[in-house]
Amino acid sequence: MKRILPAAAILLLAGTPALAHRLDEYLQGTILSIENNRMDAQITLTPGVAVFPILIADIDTDGNGSISATEQRAYVDRVLGDLSLRIDGRPLTPRLLSMEFPAIEEMKEGRGEIRIEFEANLPPGGPNRKLTLENHHQRGIAAYQVNCLVPRNHDIRILAQKRNYTQSFYELDYVQAGMLSNSLPAALMQGIGKPLETIALLLFAWVALLWARRSNPSYRGARTNLSISMRALLSLRPFGRS
Amino acid sequence: MSLNRFTFRSNQIVRISILFSLSLGSAVAQTATSRIVSAANTFLSTLDQKQRQSVLFSFDDEQQRKLWSNFPISIVPRAGISLKEMNPAQRSAAMTLVSSALSPRGFEKVQQIMDGDEALKLSEAAGPQSGRGRGGPPPGRDGGGPPPGRGPDGPPVGRGGNRGGGGGLLFGSDLYFISILGTPSQKSPWMLQFGGHHLALNITIDGERGVLTPTLTGAQPSLYTANGKNVRPLGQESDKAIALLNALDENQRKQAILSFRLADLVLGPGQDGKTIQPEGLKASSMTDKQRAMLLDVISEWGGIIHESAATVRMAELKADVNETWFAWSGPTTVTPGNNIAAYYRIQGPHLVIEYAPQQMGGDPSMHVHTMYRDPTNDYGRKPAAK
Repeated sequence: MKRILPAAAILLLAGTPALAHRLDEYLQGTILSIENNRMDAQITLTPGVAVFPILIADIDTDGNGSISATEQRAYVDRVLGDLSLRIDGRPLTPRLLSMEFPAIEEMKEGRGEIRIEFEANLPPGGPNRKLTLENHHQRGIAAYQVNCLVPRNHDIRILAQKRNYTQSFYELDYVQAGMLSNSLPAALMQGIGKPLETIALLLFAWVALLWARRSNPSYRGARTNLSISMRALLSLRPFGRS
Repeated sequence: MSLNRFTFRSNQIVRISILFSLSLGSAVAQTATSRIVSAANTFLSTLDQKQRQSVLFSFDDEQQRKLWSNFPISIVPRAGISLKEMNPAQRSAAMTLVSSALSPRGFEKVQQIMDGDEALKLSEAAGPQSGRGRGGPPPGRDGGGPPPGRGPDGPPVGRGGNRGGGGGLLFGSDLYFISILGTPSQKSPWMLQFGGHHLALNITIDGERGVLTPTLTGAQPSLYTANGKNVRPLGQESDKAIALLNALDENQRKQAILSFRLADLVLGPGQDGKTIQPEGLKASSMTDKQRAMLLDVISEWGGIIHESAATVRMAELKADVNETWFAWSGPTTVTPGNNIAAYYRIQGPHLVIEYAPQQMGGDPSMHVHTMYRDPTNDYGRKPAAK
């Protein structure tokens, strides 16, 4: 019985900011996902009640009290234009996938979310990659948040996420294991080239010896020694003894 | 005020009835599921045809399943039937159903959240508070650290201007909705939803399995007095977390404390099925005592559901503990008896917990949202182990 609370007996200990909705910030939450050769992102923008007038002036540019499709697209282009996206220092161009606007009334109440999805192609690179995202959109009122989803592709592994205090700057370091086997130049860069080079040289020497033997039988001894060396080399395994 | 007194009397009757029915229930050996199913059928039997139609949904109704929010019901309308629309007997049966699916501590937490909303309604009815303007401008704008104040181009500071006054339409302990997806059964899966402002319980029952994720809890105010006692609905979530932070050594704290601000939940409503990259301090780098403290923090959410389901859930989370991360952002001190003003996240292979104070025009420690998820099994979607 004691824990039953008479409504009149409930007193607040401190003055309560009795507001149920976001107030004076423009929350801009971005969630990225990384694939082999592309990245996707969803930005969810939630204007607070007090900053709604700033936002609506930016979106409803003709001031007629409704947001036309043209105004939506123009605003989304401005949001994407305020992003700076780079991979390994090279700029990326975000490509709009979808956009969704709430009713103006919902935004007025601080619960309306603008959702923008975009993608960007990731050009080939080495196994160690660095993606950066800078968001400058409405920086005077913004509360930025950026996160990356755990990659579905097990060849991609996140190493680190770095941000400044406001999260207007975000840097993602990751490794992409598949890059080693995908391209010969990359493999050569990683040191695999040396054994390949050796095998190629030995094959060349062997063919040269065969050709020389045909023209001069006294090369027989040299050829036998080289064959033994070739067999020994080809019996080598990457790991273990057998 | 007469309406408030009526509401209170109704609440009293409901709570006495619940205590009575729980004591009766304990006298008979029942499984948790049979107890919940029985309570669900009793509740449904108190409703008329129209009310039953409002409460019952198809089990595969994805729209209803995802119709939950931190917002008050007048801002984000819920479906089902509200306590306000029920007579005392129906309300009693509804709350008995909710309590049957929860642990005593879990149900107490739910009641405290609802009572907090009643407190909020009363404070709103009493007139505008001094919440805005006490704290000055919010910290943290662009730059490398929390600057002392907003720049000259900042927005106007003031209340929203569309509150409507009174708070009666927005807040109150009777503005909580109940709904049932599927048919209450001891064998087939079904779902119980209960929620309103700062509360979204999504409870999936599948045989003897009970799944509470995703669930949102919140509190505003996070500290109030009732009968001369301080009440903090999410006080343990706050106290246990800062105790864990204080138990970390300097090197561990460096890893756990993030250098950036987190303004809100990352995986709140509408963000189902996402697993973000974990950050902070991995529990494999903690001592046994610290890991036990971490599990104790987790139990504040894992232990909301009824005991047998909570036992299974906590065993799962204990098995994962070395793969679980603890991250903190914000102030690392707290005024004794108050909630923290910092964000924290606990993330493991089968778990995401977020605790997010809200910067909505006042002391962020007084307004908290929390999120509890299992990214592999939200809404009990993972097939039961054979």
